[in-house]
Amino acid sequence: MAPYTDREVLELVRMVELETLDVRTTTLGINLLDCADPDLESTCEKIYTKVVHHASKLVETADSVAADFGVPIINKRIAVTPISLVAAASGADNLVPIAKAMDAAAKEVGVDFIAGFTAYVHKGFTRADDALMNSIPEALDVTDHVCSSVSLASTKAGINMDATRRFTQVVMETANRTADRGGLGACKLVCFSNVVEDNPFVAGAHIGIGEAETVLSVGVSGPGVVRSALARLSPDDDLTAVAETIKRTSFKITRIGELVGRETAKRLNTIFGIVDVSLAPTPAIGDSVADILELIGVDVTGAPGTTAALALLTDAVKKGGLMASSSVGGLSGAFIPVSEDQGMIEAVRKGALSLAKLEAMTTVCSVGLDMVAVPGDISEDILMGIIADEMAVGMVNTKTTACRIIPVPGLGPGDTVEWGGLLGTGIVQDPGKFGCANLLRRGGRIPAPMQGFRN
Amino acid sequence: MTRRFLTAEDVRRLIQSGGELVVDAETVVTPQALEAAQAAGVTINSGSGGAWQVPQPDRGPDAARAMKSLSNLPEPEGGASDGRGVIITVVGKNRSGVLAEITAHLATAGCNIHKVSQEIVEGYFHLVLTVELDGSSSFNSLKSGIECLGGEDDFVARAMHERVFRFMHRV
Repeated sequence: MAPYTDREVLELVRMVELETLDVRTTTLGINLLDCADPDLESTCEKIYTKVVHHASKLVETADSVAADFGVPIINKRIAVTPISLVAAASGADNLVPIAKAMDAAAKEVGVDFIAGFTAYVHKGFTRADDALMNSIPEALDVTDHVCSSVSLASTKAGINMDATRRFTQVVMETANRTADRGGLGACKLVCFSNVVEDNPFVAGAHIGIGEAETVLSVGVSGPGVVRSALARLSPDDDLTAVAETIKRTSFKITRIGELVGRETAKRLNTIFGIVDVSLAPTPAIGDSVADILELIGVDVTGAPGTTAALALLTDAVKKGGLMASSSVGGLSGAFIPVSEDQGMIEAVRKGALSLAKLEAMTTVCSVGLDMVAVPGDISEDILMGIIADEMAVGMVNTKTTACRIIPVPGLGPGDTVEWGGLLGTGIVQDPGKFGCANLLRRGGRIPAPMQGFRN
Repeated sequence: MTRRFLTAEDVRRLIQSGGELVVDAETVVTPQALEAAQAAGVTINSGSGGAWQVPQPDRGPDAARAMKSLSNLPEPEGGASDGRGVIITVVGKNRSGVLAEITAHLATAGCNIHKVSQEIVEGYFHLVLTVELDGSSSFNSLKSGIECLGGEDDFVARAMHERVFRFMHRV
């Protein structure tokens, strides 16, 4: 057997015990296209049955892999086919029963989220897309585990501004319906530009139509590990050394994800999909992407220099991760979910991290405006403008961007909302006084940009 | 052609039309369909004879090829190919008797020690043992046994499959 140096052995043990190295999620994607039925109740029956049939061993298998390798697997999740496709054959206007069936299946198998209450409307609406959008507010109110997403734009299609306006209304209604829980419903809802079919993270996970029957994907996480590696550098080490350190650390973190993914897929007898190499923070102390940016050299996250630092971080994470895995996919970069990152929360509290700066940061990192709290009385046109801007960033830069934005009922700029658990603490940002009422009134589509025409 | 599902509605329709409740072995029968059949006093049979049983999950037409490809994916070399290699780490405040406690436990746990190394840094010891499980021992019982040793204000012991270290530190 190959000997390992003590340094090599203790490095991994230290990463797990002290630096919060973990596998953030093992997500089982399950195709539900064959659950379509002219009768909605039968559709629900099939969805519940198929999810339980395929995922009944997911939690125990992931737990046994975690025990064998000594690396925690924090979440087990399910991603399904966009429900608007599955529900279409039923002709139903109200798809809440499907969300309830998904929720019941998630409870039965013991996963924390089941995502895929989803529609793609970046070019237009089908009847089923319309039904799904109408159903989102109630679905996210009455269920605990269901997540929802909507594709509003792409580099190939442009931005569907009618859909963006509609989505804005859905966000507001979802938040208002869950006002007693700080607008929690909107924490489980996200929109995308250039949506990906294999994202294992919520709220946007679903299994795209190009995928197989079932597929097991992994999301790794290790901001704490990267942070600790950078903390061991000298302040005189230059940015090339910083990038190299992040790249090498990302390689090691991703190797764990690759091993866990291969073994979990093997034990579940299913296809191994991808490793999403994203650095995903949690509210735990030391597990913060903002801390990393500050170690790279920014005074406080949100100050000038932040976008450049984040560009370095995201690129180095990708370079290390790509070598480490046989199949990288999903979002793969750096996440900046404001409420889920202790350093980000502090930066907002200090007044250093504004909405405008967050938008700038999304041009270089992998997610978008994520877990951003805004005032509960925000006007429709201002909220739509924020979302449309984020869609435009993704469309023009040929990258995925997303918007998970929560108008918190009853709260104003500077107020705090506790969503708890992984969702963390939201501090309401100030979106300003000016909006885009005429843009909203015009509607229509922003055409696909030149970048979409590569043939 | 295999019918993918049998729903309660299918059962009610078949019973009403006087048809038999026979499905393919691969068909997934929903819990509601089973209840509906039971309520009507009818058994759902499998086409291959006998009562229908829950099939193995159908992972799709390309799953077999993908599983074969998964087993053939290169892994870093150098480890015990049968998965018997285990790395045990013990970290704690330096005191006498720790190594004796650990090796005494391993002697009863059915493993062969390949390498032991220890270093004391600033009053804390780091002990790393590379062991191989013998044919009859299980990793789970070794792990739970070793991790119960030590305790608060004493040492922390961890057992992990050698494969994890190989994945991280070898190409």
